[in-house]
Amino acid sequence: MGFLLESLKASIHLIVTWDPAFSHAVWTSLYVSAWSIVFASLLGIPAGLAVGLTEFSLKRPVITMLNSLMAVPTVLIGLLVYGFVSRQGPFGGLGLLFTPAAIIVGDALLAAPIVANLALSSVRGSNTAILPTAMTLGGSRFQSVLKLLSEIRFGMMAAVISGFGRVVSEVGVAMMLGGNIFGYTRTMTTAIALETSKGEFAFGIALGLILMAVALAVNIVFQFLQRR
Amino acid sequence: MPLYRLESVTKRYRERVALGIPALVIGEGGIHSLSGPNGSGKSTLLGILAFLSPPTSGALYYDGKRVEWKERSLVALRREATLLHQAPYLFEGSVLANMTFGLKVRGVEGEQRRRRIAESLEMVGLGGFEHRRARALSGGETQRIALARALALSPRVLLLDEPLANVDRESAEVIRAVIAGLPARGTTVIMTTHDPDVPGRLNGEAIRLEEGRLSAAPDVGTAAGQAPGVPHRFELRLLQGPGECGS
Repeated sequence: MGFLLESLKASIHLIVTWDPAFSHAVWTSLYVSAWSIVFASLLGIPAGLAVGLTEFSLKRPVITMLNSLMAVPTVLIGLLVYGFVSRQGPFGGLGLLFTPAAIIVGDALLAAPIVANLALSSVRGSNTAILPTAMTLGGSRFQSVLKLLSEIRFGMMAAVISGFGRVVSEVGVAMMLGGNIFGYTRTMTTAIALETSKGEFAFGIALGLILMAVALAVNIVFQFLQRR
Repeated sequence: MPLYRLESVTKRYRERVALGIPALVIGEGGIHSLSGPNGSGKSTLLGILAFLSPPTSGALYYDGKRVEWKERSLVALRREATLLHQAPYLFEGSVLANMTFGLKVRGVEGEQRRRRIAESLEMVGLGGFEHRRARALSGGETQRIALARALALSPRVLLLDEPLANVDRESAEVIRAVIAGLPARGTTVIMTTHDPDVPGRLNGEAIRLEEGRLSAAPDVGTAAGQAPGVPHRFELRLLQGPGECGS
């Protein structure tokens, strides 16, 4: 118990003094997570809307596939993207491996099915009168879909926040594609994994607390927007 | 020239035939009532006339032109025919935001937009409701706001799905009075009802549907020489002028 309390005390000291190594890991995590959720949303929201609003023969298999993709292990996505961006891969010439950009690509692929599925659920759970109402009032298909999006914006926000929660807390993609390079691709989660294995338990706890604070802050913002 | 002409129009939902109309002509002006029991195809027909739902087969002519069920041409047609659902959906936000959507997509801005909104709200007896929260309104107020939202667009055709159902007495009176005055403003009204008394009260013409097929109603004027009750191969002409109906 004393060990835990000592570690907690040391972790709070680390947070208060805001160690540069510590702050860089926090910044890198937020940076790659923010960009990856932007790309995941650009892929996932239109995909969820398209599947939810159109009827096609393969709709059920597509939904099953989207559901399955939500459960894909992070290391598998890391492995797949590694194959593409490693020096011998088709995009090896871009020099993406072990850069924040590679983590962003991997995390975007990880979060896109989550955003798509939750966007799809939001569309399917929405009032079926929204689209016909917007259309009969004179909206084009595009304008009516925008209206629908505005009506179900909290569902969409929840989808984006869930995706963000997934990428900010994952280790596999960041480790395999970022390489955990100090001051460059080291994220909060890879730093926790490394520092804990080195016995720097307090450092790990401090980053864990920051990670929880980020999740809490995002949810508070979401609740605030919901109330407005 | 008739406003709508339907030729061999059918609508199927999987195996079920929801609508089968060999021929129907609806003239411009007046109040046309569309009656029949639940499930008779009234709402399905309204959806087709509002250009929201294409028929499975057959042709629909509007203003003498065959309707091409393609998005580009449908937007322009939908801006002439507005459908008011039985349980209208009001968007999140204020009454003003609800009223603004249709005007905004038509490019109606500024003072003209404000004036049209205020006038429409006055017509339904809810002047000054602009800043009320749409979702906090009562059932009758919701129906009246939805009617005002449609009226603000000055549609050529107003399609009403059971507008008097589920509303309080006061709202029903207001809605009835507004509908009765619309032909004089150049709007053709087509409204569904399963209340046999409503067409008479509105002093309009009647189309009756049963099991998705046209049927002669007792108050139908002319049925192209057919005896009442003959459901098939039936052409109904409703060429009432704006001055012939109303309050």
